[in-house]
Order: sequence, then C-alpha cells, then structure tokens
Amino acid sequence: MNSPLKTITLLSASPKGTGLPCVSRMFCDMAAERIGCEEVCVRRFDVRACFAENTEESAYRAMLESDALFVLFPLYFFCLPGMLMRFLQDYSVFAKAHAAESRLNRVYALVNCGFPEAEINEEAIRVVARFSVSVQAAFRFGILVGGGGMALGTKDAPFMKPYFDAITGAFDRIRSDVVSFSEAPLANVYTEANFPRKLYFLMGGIGWKHTAKKNGLPKKALRRQPYKRD
Amino acid sequence: MLAYVVSDAEFQTERFRSLESALLEFLSEKDCSVERTSVACGELRNCAGCFGCWVKTPGECIVRDPIAEINRRSMQSDVTFYLCPIVFGQFSANMKSVIDRWLPNMLPFFVTRPDGSTMHPPRYDSYPAQVMIGYGDDLENEDKVLFRDITKKHRNGVEVVIWHNAEELGRALHDMRFERIGGSL
Repeated sequence: MNSPLKTITLLSASPKGTGLPCVSRMFCDMAAERIGCEEVCVRRFDVRACFAENTEESAYRAMLESDALFVLFPLYFFCLPGMLMRFLQDYSVFAKAHAAESRLNRVYALVNCGFPEAEINEEAIRVVARFSVSVQAAFRFGILVGGGGMALGTKDAPFMKPYFDAITGAFDRIRSDVVSFSEAPLANVYTEANFPRKLYFLMGGIGWKHTAKKNGLPKKALRRQPYKRD
Repeated sequence: MLAYVVSDAEFQTERFRSLESALLEFLSEKDCSVERTSVACGELRNCAGCFGCWVKTPGECIVRDPIAEINRRSMQSDVTFYLCPIVFGQFSANMKSVIDRWLPNMLPFFVTRPDGSTMHPPRYDSYPAQVMIGYGDDLENEDKVLFRDITKKHRNGVEVVIWHNAEELGRALHDMRFERIGGSL
C-alpha cells in the first residue's frame, strides 16, 4: 500500500534582497528539486518576501498544515538572523493559538556560514531545536555548512564535489525521513570546502578591498572609525 | 563611568521591570551616568547582509534608522548592558536585530582566534565592556545554557548573566570590571 502524500514546507530565510546572489536561496532551490517527489509535496516560502508582502499568515497556515518544516538560513552573529527570529517567534504564538489544527511533526535546518568551519553553526542548530520544542514538533537533524561564501561561485568545480554531495545526500535523507516518518535519531551533517584556509582568508581580503575600490573608496577608508571615543 | 542600557520594548514584563530596576539601582550606587534605549518591533530594519557598512560607508550602516545612534552610544560608553528576553535559547527578535547590526563595528577581514576558529578583526582599539543579561518566564535549563554558549563560546570580553533576582544580579555584577576593553572581541 502506498504511504499517504506528505507535505514539507521549505523556509528560505536569508535577509538578502531578492535578485542578489544568495547562498541560502541556492540551497533552497536544490532542496526543492531533491526532496520533491511523488510521495512528498514541497511548498516554499521566502521569509523576506513574506514580510515585504504582508503574507506571513498564509506561510504560517501552510507551516501548520505541513508534516515537516525545513528552515534554510545564514548564520548571523552565531545564531539566527533577527528577521528569522521575528518570523519564528510570531509563528510560535500562531501555532499555540491553533494547536489543535497543527500537523507539524518534524523540523530540519540548514545553516550556512561565511567562515570556513562548519562547527560554528552548532548553536544555531540548537536554537532551531528549541523552537521545535515550542511548536511541539521533533527536531530531526541539521546541516551545518562552512565556507558558504564559496558555494555560489564553485557549484560545478570538481574540488567542491564532496561538499555538495554531502548537502544533496542530506536532502535525500530528509526526503526518506519525511516519507518514513521514522523516529530513529539522525546525526547532524557537517560540510566544509576542501580549500586552504589561508588562501580563503586572502581571497576574502582582496575581495573586500576590490569592492570598496569599485565604490570609490581608497583602501585605508575600509578602516574608518566613525564612532571612535575621544 | 558611562553605562548604556539597551532593552526590548516588546517584553516589558514584570520580570523585566524587576531586572531593570535592580540594574539601575546598582548603577546608581556606582555613580554611573546611564543612557537607555528601548527597541520596539519594527523600529529597526533587519540587517540585510549587504555589507554596505564595510564597503560603502565603512563603520556605519547604510540604512538610516535608529541603529546609528544605538551604535554610537554603545561605542561611546564604558559598558553596554543588553537586557535580553531569551527566546528559543537565543536573543529575542528585536534584540537580535540590534546585535546583527553591530556588524559595522568590526572589520570585514578574516583572522584566526586562539582556539582555531575564525573571526572578524576589531575596527576600534577599544570597545565598551558588554554584559548580556538574559531573562524570561519559565526558562528551561537548556535555554539558559544555550544563551550562554551563543554569547560566550565565540567571543571575548562579553559577560553573561541570567536574571533570577536582585541579590544574585548584584553579586554577579560586583565581580565584573566595567572598563573598556582592547584587542579582539
């Protein structure tokens, strides 16, 4: 007998403006393609767009009526960006008011950070787990991505294959988990770019100086101190 | 000594009022000048990750809203207190927007911390001492531990206190040094 169709809501939660290069949205595109199948229906919302268009409540309704939620976001100061906190904080209130209607059973998260190390995302994953408790859903596992700054420009580079394989493998695991509704514990997935750390730092520094120069700033202007105490 | 106190206008609970009153009393006993800001929902834009504060107007957010004044006051103070509602183990949405938009006060480059992790280097030679005081009704131990981890694990020079009562707050603050700090945060 076929299992009934399950629904997952993907929440793309980068505060970056639409149209700008955005790692979280790229991962959200990949996730939608990978997780959607005959047995799993994918719905997708962009948190920034929801706020801009005042459509938070329809997203909340969809989340409430989904079997699973997958939140994808960038790390901001070692935890969730303020914009995503506003969205989840308000959803938590909404979910409590509509607890009897909630189908939401399980939650997943992907956090990406511009720093090379994936472990730096661990506290953010724990925050999503605490959110899951507040909406009475099980947090299943997190995907912790380091070196996010490289991901957009290197998607097809051979040296990044293991990096992206780990991520797409984790998306496959989400799909299976949503279909099976298993309760067996799942470990977090960590992925980092196989790239020399010193070179990563050097390229980052060159990039900032180059962008500032394009904006008409001399190199030393990058170190301005407008709030320096006298 | 100049102390700057930032709080969340959305969580002005009975617990918050007790905390705020105990803190102000402590600062008054220390003869501190106190400046205060309370941030309401929608008052600050969210950090959009545009990095304009690094490559267009270095050191200042390009969005013109109250964050410029908040960052200026904080950077001019000897100690900045953040009175933080703890939600899901982290800062509430309003307080997190304040913290996210601290970014202009750092430089864009990458450096390695003594523990091997990455950080952005400081923009200034010295910063105010920073104290995060977390509070909330019915907080579980996991929330408190997570709040401490988020704040302490990746940063130097930031103190964390979880509010229980005036006596404990006084004890915790008594042992802290409210001086500007130099070097990496």
